[in-house]
Amino acid sequence: MKWVLYERLRAATAAGTSCAVVTRLADGAQAFFDGERWEGAIDPAEAQRAAVRRMLVAGRSGMLPGEQDLFVRSYARAPRLIVVGAAHISQFLAPMATLAGFEVIVIDPRRAFASAERFPGVTLVDEWPDTALERLKPDVTTAVVTLTHDPKLDDPALIAALRSPAFYIGALGSTRTHAKRVTRLTEAGLGDKVARIHAPVGLDLGGRAPCEIAVSILSQVIQVRYRGEAA
Amino acid sequence: MTHPEFAADAAGGAGRIYQEAIKALANAATGHGALVAPDGRAFIDNPLCGDCVEMEVNVADSRIAALAHQVKGCLLCRAAASVIGKRAVGASPGEVEQISAEVSAMLEREAPPSAGWHELSAFAPVHGHRSRYDCVRLPFQALLAALRAAGERA
Repeated sequence: MKWVLYERLRAATAAGTSCAVVTRLADGAQAFFDGERWEGAIDPAEAQRAAVRRMLVAGRSGMLPGEQDLFVRSYARAPRLIVVGAAHISQFLAPMATLAGFEVIVIDPRRAFASAERFPGVTLVDEWPDTALERLKPDVTTAVVTLTHDPKLDDPALIAALRSPAFYIGALGSTRTHAKRVTRLTEAGLGDKVARIHAPVGLDLGGRAPCEIAVSILSQVIQVRYRGEAA
Repeated sequence: MTHPEFAADAAGGAGRIYQEAIKALANAATGHGALVAPDGRAFIDNPLCGDCVEMEVNVADSRIAALAHQVKGCLLCRAAASVIGKRAVGASPGEVEQISAEVSAMLEREAPPSAGWHELSAFAPVHGHRSRYDCVRLPFQALLAALRAAGERA
């Protein structure tokens, strides 16, 4: 491995950013991918880059599917789920996602809701979502879900998430609510990115109770993690 | 956990409190920023809605010589901070207390605000939306706290 790529790899893993190294078996040439940028001696085609990203999101290593010559080594941290909004649904989603192997962080500046009593054992952040996400830097193995019921808090979170390589972005709210949200985010200059948002959030399981919505969100996050957006 | 916005909707008047004057004030964000060497500073947040205000003041001859604020909050909170940015420079702590009391009276009892800070009349429709009173009051509380901090330093 070239020294410069090793340094990139070391810096990314030290920063807690999931990344991957692609090796061409024929000549040992390598490329490094941190979820956003590519670097190195290989210049993979668009489809190959997308396939590497899918493997990294899923935390898988191995031969790149459909390729004879490209080996992918994923250096993926435990997937993170950043929940914006310490709402009822979050009270179910946080422990469920923790049990499912996610590192869960709940962000809500409304300290009355984001209390340790309501979220035992969960990492709570009481900064504003944009400030918190700037610090937490959602990477390619991070999912961001907004559940505050308040655009004042959801919008800055979604703007930060849309500017990140997060593999999943979901927003609570009806189709009508989401249409208004899309208008606002488009005005904020994110028109080309809003399609990344899953809204209404979660798989359509039919349940309406907060615990059931939590299951539907967690299911969709896991589905996108392994099956990609096309699923 | 009914959100204030939805509660106001149910009461049949959420739209009224977001009238154009409020939007214009909020978007103007008069006074937004930070001072180089503030005499007093205060940070106040509302744990129920997440709104937060950081207020900085410079005081000279017992009057506000300069102020700057940074608000993360709803339209009402940002608009109220903007009025402060527009009007509070030159005021004494006593006058700010007086205005602040008038704002509370306007919200709670529809008492008309005094002359001078006429932009405050834009908040009159908030009367009746009890859960939103603190959105308007928060920047005033932050300003009073910043003035107290400046007083303690002096």
